[in-house]
Amino acid sequence: MKKYFFIPLLLFTVLLAGCINKKIIDDVNITTGIGIDKEGEQYLGSAMIPVYNPDKSIENFIFTAKGTVVRDLMFQMQQTSSQPIVGGSLDVTLFDETVAREGIPHVLDVFLRDPSVGARVHLAVVDGKAKDIFEGKYGDRGNGRYLAELIESNYKTGNLPLTNLHQFLHDYYQKGKDPVLPYLRQTRPDLVNIAGLALFKGEKVVDVLDENKLFYFKLMVDYYSEGALKIKDEHGESFIKSIHSTYNFKVKNRNPYKFSVSLEVDGMLTEHTGKSLEKGEIKRIEKQMEKQIKKECLALLERFQENKIDPVGIGHFIKTQTRNFDIKKWEESYQNASFDVDAKVKIVEVGVIE
Amino acid sequence: MQEPVHERLQISPFMAAFIVMAMQFGIGVLGFQRIVAKEAGYDAWISIIGIGLLVHFIVWIMYRICEAVDGDILTANVYVFGKAIGNTINSFFIIYFISACVAVLGGLVEVIRTWMFPNLSPLLFGSMYLILGIYIVYGGFRTVTGISFFGLVIPSYLLFSFAYAIRYGDFTNLLPILDHSPLELLKSAYSMSFTVLGFGVLLFFHPFIKNPEKSKKWVHGGIFLITLIYAILAIISFAYFPPALLNKSIWATLEMWKIVRLPIIERFEYLGIANWSLIILPNVAICLWTASRVIKHVFHLRQRKGVWFVAAICLLLILIVDSRERMDMFTSFHGKIGFGLAFVYTPLLYLAIIIAKKVKKK
Repeated sequence: MKKYFFIPLLLFTVLLAGCINKKIIDDVNITTGIGIDKEGEQYLGSAMIPVYNPDKSIENFIFTAKGTVVRDLMFQMQQTSSQPIVGGSLDVTLFDETVAREGIPHVLDVFLRDPSVGARVHLAVVDGKAKDIFEGKYGDRGNGRYLAELIESNYKTGNLPLTNLHQFLHDYYQKGKDPVLPYLRQTRPDLVNIAGLALFKGEKVVDVLDENKLFYFKLMVDYYSEGALKIKDEHGESFIKSIHSTYNFKVKNRNPYKFSVSLEVDGMLTEHTGKSLEKGEIKRIEKQMEKQIKKECLALLERFQENKIDPVGIGHFIKTQTRNFDIKKWEESYQNASFDVDAKVKIVEVGVIE
Repeated sequence: MQEPVHERLQISPFMAAFIVMAMQFGIGVLGFQRIVAKEAGYDAWISIIGIGLLVHFIVWIMYRICEAVDGDILTANVYVFGKAIGNTINSFFIIYFISACVAVLGGLVEVIRTWMFPNLSPLLFGSMYLILGIYIVYGGFRTVTGISFFGLVIPSYLLFSFAYAIRYGDFTNLLPILDHSPLELLKSAYSMSFTVLGFGVLLFFHPFIKNPEKSKKWVHGGIFLITLIYAILAIISFAYFPPALLNKSIWATLEMWKIVRLPIIERFEYLGIANWSLIILPNVAICLWTASRVIKHVFHLRQRKGVWFVAAICLLLILIVDSRERMDMFTSFHGKIGFGLAFVYTPLLYLAIIIAKKVKKK
């Protein structure tokens, strides 16, 4: 008798394990994209849900709602949905420029508080309405995946710096650094383009960097920058793809602040419009590219200073170099800081023809 | 001198390390980063190493205590203070281990409710878990040891998952090193001590080790390993979170899993938390075993009966501390008592034993 005492108890544990609220994947609406637009005084929220058709194509359905609090939008959408809307697989969240310029603190709180949202969600600011972007039809894997992969692949092999939710929150909460987000624009009903980079001051967008400046920006914030750049000299145009790059900041002087920024790029020549690569041509291209990088990076740093933003994280850098760092003092002296940009370009490969 | 434990019931010296490690590695791992960084900022990893060294010293004292009285701490208390006072102190340990069990199991219930199932019933989950714990205790101390071993070895693969966070971390966050005063480092070490507590259980199961002398190197090795894991985990978290964000994260370790994305698992936290209930299992089993063993010693109640009594009180307390606020209060209260017992009472007891020995010799 005593021997079998545990058997009913163990049986209970097995049977009662089913007594929990479950969410079966076929019975929920999995949001892949959330868009926040401004309409009048209220937010216009849209949640995009992929609909899997029997013929294996994917369509998108969009729930919309109006309100002033993001959670309230979700709740209203829920009321129009036959199945619960869940956010465990969210891919992208888009903000229209008006919302982004007013600041996105509400949304930040939602993402921080909700344990079901992953840190790899991609955030972006759009030119126009987020809802319009969702209404297009891109690729054959659903709009959510398309937008996420657009940003991911441009980060991995293009000129875009890392900008997922984690990176955004990291830069937002980091003292002496301001976050950035990709700036998207719909160019065709079936294509979205990365038109630049939205630069934040705290939670508000204050400036938008043009797409052709992204290469220089990424050089200063990311180590293994795989961007590409067009170089023009008297013998024609060349296209250089960066294979590897490093950046190094140094404090040269503290009163007033003077920084030296040294950038090193190992590149690969992928196209050259001249007849052939003459002797010394490579050297010339390297020099030309160095000159261009120096000029453009310095211009960027000065533009950031003018806007009183610090997306490169100079403030954070100086903090790591200073004991008992006073962020208030730094913010005042940031305006008077000056920079020395030095670039070193090495073209290590020219392809299989000369 | 106490009755020696039969060799049939003893464990090998190597396994002793796993019991100590299993007790040290509990629910605290999920959120210790925020607490240590409160005082010493991102220099707190130094405090973690510091407290690790202190633990080595305390464990050394614990071995000396057990060797001096040739038994466990229950014998030592009776030896020093006499039967009446000694047993009063001993019965206090019952309460301590019950509260340790509640802190750990209640913490697990809280994590599951916040991250996975908001409507999980603490009563059902707690009672099932405690029944499992009782079942393990019924198997005897060797079974408890076995569970400690598996409760550490099986989930150890989780450590690799933190490599994802390294990719997204900015290790310059840690600079400049030693930007805080020694006092701040000490305060941070004090708050870290709550997380590494639990090694005191050595004082209770010492008679069960087959060859205590040989177990020393394993136990010290285990403590070193745990300290190392804590320090590395802290450094990765400090790189991953900027200070202002870490200050908001109650469970920083879990939040680092948000960045993990595997082709087959969209949200890694679910796997991690489910695995964590295996890490918690030895904690609960050891607490139940120790509390019921003290009951057996002090009140001469059979351990098989005592463990039901202990589990019932645990369950009752878990039902009472079912909100964030109460849980916070309870764990910090429990931590303070634990700190007092491990880092203040143990050295004092050792001094008292030395004095008592000298007095009794005369």
